[in-house]
Amino acid sequence: MKTVNMQDGPMFSKGEKAVVVSCDMITAYGHGVDVCWDGIMSGRTAVADIDRFGTGAFQSGSAAIVNGLKYLGKDSLVLQMFKKIFDKHSEPAPKDSALVLASTKGEIDLLEKNLLSGEGDASESNLNNLLQKVEQLAGIKGGAMVVSAACASASAALARAAAMIRSGHKDCVLVAACDSVTEFVYSGFSSLMALDKFPARPFDRSRSGLSLGEAAGFVLLMSASRASKEGRQVLGEVRGWGLSDDANHMTGPSRTGDGLSLAITKALKSAGADEKDIGFISAHGTGTLYNDTMEIKSFKSVFKMNKKPVYSIKGGLGHTMGAAGLVEMIIALKALKEKTVPATVNFKTADDDSQGWASASQRPADENKCALLTNAGFSGINAALVLA
Amino acid sequence: MISITGIGWINEEEYGCILNEIKESYKDGVFPKKKIFPFSYKNIGRLDHVSRLTCAAVALALKDAGIECSPELKHDAGIISTNTSGSFDSDMLYFRDYLDSGRTLSRGNLFIYTLPSSPSGEAAIYFGLQGPLIYIAGKNNSMVNALRTAAEMLRDNEASLMLAGTAEADRAIYFVLKGECNSGGEALCNCDEVMKVLEKDLSFKELVDEFQNLRKGSKVS
Repeated sequence: MKTVNMQDGPMFSKGEKAVVVSCDMITAYGHGVDVCWDGIMSGRTAVADIDRFGTGAFQSGSAAIVNGLKYLGKDSLVLQMFKKIFDKHSEPAPKDSALVLASTKGEIDLLEKNLLSGEGDASESNLNNLLQKVEQLAGIKGGAMVVSAACASASAALARAAAMIRSGHKDCVLVAACDSVTEFVYSGFSSLMALDKFPARPFDRSRSGLSLGEAAGFVLLMSASRASKEGRQVLGEVRGWGLSDDANHMTGPSRTGDGLSLAITKALKSAGADEKDIGFISAHGTGTLYNDTMEIKSFKSVFKMNKKPVYSIKGGLGHTMGAAGLVEMIIALKALKEKTVPATVNFKTADDDSQGWASASQRPADENKCALLTNAGFSGINAALVLA
Repeated sequence: MISITGIGWINEEEYGCILNEIKESYKDGVFPKKKIFPFSYKNIGRLDHVSRLTCAAVALALKDAGIECSPELKHDAGIISTNTSGSFDSDMLYFRDYLDSGRTLSRGNLFIYTLPSSPSGEAAIYFGLQGPLIYIAGKNNSMVNALRTAAEMLRDNEASLMLAGTAEADRAIYFVLKGECNSGGEALCNCDEVMKVLEKDLSFKELVDEFQNLRKGSKVS
């Protein structure tokens, strides 16, 4: 296979640093960053049997869902989550902030409701409608766009937001991300034989699929100069990013991991970093046989014999699809702050590939090193972020 | 400067390339896959309609830009897609089919097209496009935003080559964008000029006519 037009020049313009100044999220562990962090660190999974819809025809009957949401009610599941989040923040972002909304299926339960009961309008499930609702809830008017890149949607959105800030095009961007567990989504993943009937076990020898989860959240990114001017507390930095595609298969990752390696290499170059600067890896780690094998292959290709602590949070709060990158970034920043690499929930025994990379134990995070975050999705989409 | 080096388009009756001034008709309704695709596309029949139109417009745009494509070649090229309805038609098809089965049988081959990024994903697989792949949308003219995003990615060297375009149920158009450090080959105009045309909010036919006129003008000047 030959690749043409590969860029040799310097990657990305030098410009403003994109820093995180605020964040919040709802996951199956509950509302808030600390609640989620504590859940993951406890080793307890939030994946449980669900009664939101019948699961008798599916591969599994469990998922990580948020308590207290009403399915097929007046508001969609993701809007209910966003309302809870933004109710808690009187001004989540300055009025001039741009909005980047990441999701795969957004308010797809509105379409389900219409087809099941004739209520409402199925076309209300269009992501543009959700974009306007989130813009109103957040009270911002600096322009808005949807970014959808399968299960790498949130990390791709964070990369776009950071690029806007680095280039000076914007100095404040609110990235919001969401997806929910509905019959539409659940039946689809089941049809692809992607679900584990037990809570997902990323990187474990006995893993046999993923567990779906739901989440919504936001990250407020600001240029370092504006954050300093406004006296904002800096929670972390999106130092670099890389996006790529396997160009290989619609639902399965490339067996070689080359596509993800390309995204990681781009992200390191974008961050002005090299392999030695990475302290740990927040992996996509879905728990499917192929994804986790592909990821470890890719990490070995980039980091060679220099093994890095790798973890996945999806055994705890499920695969939150279009929200995954945002939730995982918030947890990776928390791990940097706490100088602790979380254990992988439900991980017991490493397979031959992940030996020495994934662990059932928490590990210390190297001081002054960055975190690498990876995501992958249908169509072979890959995203990597370097966080500091 | 970011240049536009190829434009491919297709609707339910015609398809064409702007720089090479190709305009063909297929009013018999038979999708002209042999004329459009540079090499065998055996399983195109399994694609949903929007994906088929996306792949056709991308094929025509790459041909227009003189970019060699074969099953053995991979390109450091990204693709930014947009449209007004997302994956709505595929969503309806998938869930209706599932309900018709008595909520017992869901079909994976329908489910995979319920992501708005799937049509460009199919194009990436067929043409070996290994750069960034995202779908964007917004309340304003999302085609302009797609081109702007692709141009920004080129400027930041996120890929060597970018495609940006839109596909609805009955039409698709894709643009090939090249940056300064990847010059060579003919360009129709710079990206800003194309964005000005897109901002006019023309019908699809008017849009194609406008680009054809732009091409005639570029040859005269």
